[in-house]
Amino acid sequence: MNGSIRKLSLTGLLLLLVLACVLDISAGAVRIPLHDIFRILFSRAPAADASWSFIVDKIRLPKAITAILAGCGLSVGGLQMQTLFRNPLADPGVLGITAGASLGVAAVMLTGGSMTTIYAIKELGPSGSWLIACAACVGAGMAMLLVLVLSGRLRDNVMMLIIGLMIGSVTLALISIWQYFSNPEEVKDYLLWTFGSLGGVTGKQLSILGLIVGVGLIAAWLSSKMLDALLLGENYARSMGLTVRRARTIIVCTTSLLAGVITAFCGPIGFIGIAVPHLARLCFNTSSHRILIPACCLIGAILLLLCDCISQWPGTQAVLPINIITSLVGAPLVILLLVRRRNLSINAYR
Amino acid sequence: MFRFLFILVLLFPAGCRQPSTAKPADRPVGVVDTIHYAHGFFIVRYPGYRDVGIIDRRAGRADTLHFLLVEQGVAPPADRSGLPVIVTPVKSMVVLSSMHVAMAEFAGVADRITGLGSIQYVYSPIVRAGIRAGKVKQVGIDAGINNEAVISLHPDLVLTMSNPQAGAGAYKTLADAGIPVIPDADWLETSPLGRAEWVRLWGALVDKDAMVNKKFDSLVQSYQRLAAIGSQASPKPTVITDMPFKGTWYVPAGESFMAQFLRDAGADYHWSDTKGTGSLPLSFEAVAPIALKADFWLNQGLVDSRADVGAKDSRFASFKSFQTGNLYNYNRRINDLGSNDYWESGSMHPDLILADLIRILHPGLLPQDSLYYYKQLK
Repeated sequence: MNGSIRKLSLTGLLLLLVLACVLDISAGAVRIPLHDIFRILFSRAPAADASWSFIVDKIRLPKAITAILAGCGLSVGGLQMQTLFRNPLADPGVLGITAGASLGVAAVMLTGGSMTTIYAIKELGPSGSWLIACAACVGAGMAMLLVLVLSGRLRDNVMMLIIGLMIGSVTLALISIWQYFSNPEEVKDYLLWTFGSLGGVTGKQLSILGLIVGVGLIAAWLSSKMLDALLLGENYARSMGLTVRRARTIIVCTTSLLAGVITAFCGPIGFIGIAVPHLARLCFNTSSHRILIPACCLIGAILLLLCDCISQWPGTQAVLPINIITSLVGAPLVILLLVRRRNLSINAYR
Repeated sequence: MFRFLFILVLLFPAGCRQPSTAKPADRPVGVVDTIHYAHGFFIVRYPGYRDVGIIDRRAGRADTLHFLLVEQGVAPPADRSGLPVIVTPVKSMVVLSSMHVAMAEFAGVADRITGLGSIQYVYSPIVRAGIRAGKVKQVGIDAGINNEAVISLHPDLVLTMSNPQAGAGAYKTLADAGIPVIPDADWLETSPLGRAEWVRLWGALVDKDAMVNKKFDSLVQSYQRLAAIGSQASPKPTVITDMPFKGTWYVPAGESFMAQFLRDAGADYHWSDTKGTGSLPLSFEAVAPIALKADFWLNQGLVDSRADVGAKDSRFASFKSFQTGNLYNYNRRINDLGSNDYWESGSMHPDLILADLIRILHPGLLPQDSLYYYKQLK
């Protein structure tokens, strides 16, 4: 595949993204004619029904933007982890960052009544949804710090992978203890959080999510040369003049930032991080991260937007949690592509 | 409607599974207790004992668990061997739900509770005093029940909130230890009065039928008097309830308790005609057109002020109810442990809940008095 075809494919994906975005904003429980949606979005003129502009401006638009940001961030995070560990099963959660974020959220939601420290946190200002986001960030940050400290002592990336899994296991056990002793209302809230959601991020939270995901994506883009070198093996990367430990720190930090902030605001969204890098490699038949990173962004955003459309199937009043849809839709898609392709090595697309 | 159900209840003992040794022809004719609102149990009186049946009508089949309430000093009926026997009056019991605590309070026997599922979430001052004095122990619930702890308390009876369908299976160890386990399926009832009527079973268990039945009848009268006032009131204000979380808004379905309360309180509730006894998981946007214009917003849950509500989601500020300050939550009675009496005694005082709702939605319709379970979020 030469450069011009790739550019064409990327442009095609960009068009698809715009289409998916329009589809996502026009789909929902309340039927709003397309021209009314465009009028609300672009002319600011009052809509035929006053509640329509509230729905488009305050519900659908933030949700679509969140889907794009989360789709980009999780896919690129997954790509980085698969390259760093040279393991096709890695995703942004392998470092225990998602589990760390969950631990932070559980600490706030499940021990709310009994822990005095939580009252202290509430006194400091962040309340309601901010409290949950902050707790998730602190949890993710602590997990990341632990991984970083340990990674400094380890030479082998596989050992880091195992340590990440162990951290995840310990945090899950801690969460289970809290769940066991919490009242049903709180457990239900926590359970709903673990289903993932794109609909709870608005206003200032959305700006913060956009800012941090943007920083993470730029950092990932800048480290794409390092990622290309790491793909050939650590020894080879070293011989090319790469400081492996420094590269590892940068990559781990970027992924933690992306996965941590997205988990904080949207809950743990599975599957996108594992599947999209494979889809990107299959589509573009390359292992160059200069191409894979934008490709992952586009495919991830499109996939999450489409999943969001499905989760609020037109004509129904209910909405399914996004996590269910990403797995139900994504897994068969990847299986289909793999059966046609017959291999799944992250080095196979040179 | 209720008469039909009453006949159904009358017919049940005949239609249900009997132990093989039973010879119904020889047995004296039992007197069936009148039950108006609850669908899940019946009581038949025989000389010296009562036959209590817990009915499971879910999954399209009707099955009944029988318990014999035998008066102290009377021999259990020989023709009904094999059924669990409970000696009345019950003097000590382990209860697993806060509704049971409320029923014990209502029947005046809260001091007979010796074990609780969780001692953290209790409101009843009598039971709290028992916990402080070390007379009430924690035993855990469902799969987490500590059988050894229950057995060491030697209770006359364990009341679980499990599904009758599960039968005694989950609590087989306790049954083997000779402790009767009754699945108190009050939570499966579909009306506030139906749930509260399970207190009649408590009356039978502690031999206080007359007192408990009288008290329940006056509760019914008071509820119906209020419902007559509330449901006639006009204009009916529009109401939304609960709070969305992460994009999903669980609203009470049309056949749920809350929808019943709202109808009886004279509210215009948008989902009043929907099917289902639980809640409907709607998307935020499906509720938004209603929520933007609703006059009142009730039952926000774990929030204590208008600022708390606003902090949950800045979009709530666009709601009419938020702007006018018509936010009411059921958290007036929360104790220092964070336990909410609305979930406890509220289940036995639907009349007080209804009175609160009428006072909120139709000020001036009832004599002015402060709210009992509800308070305005300011």
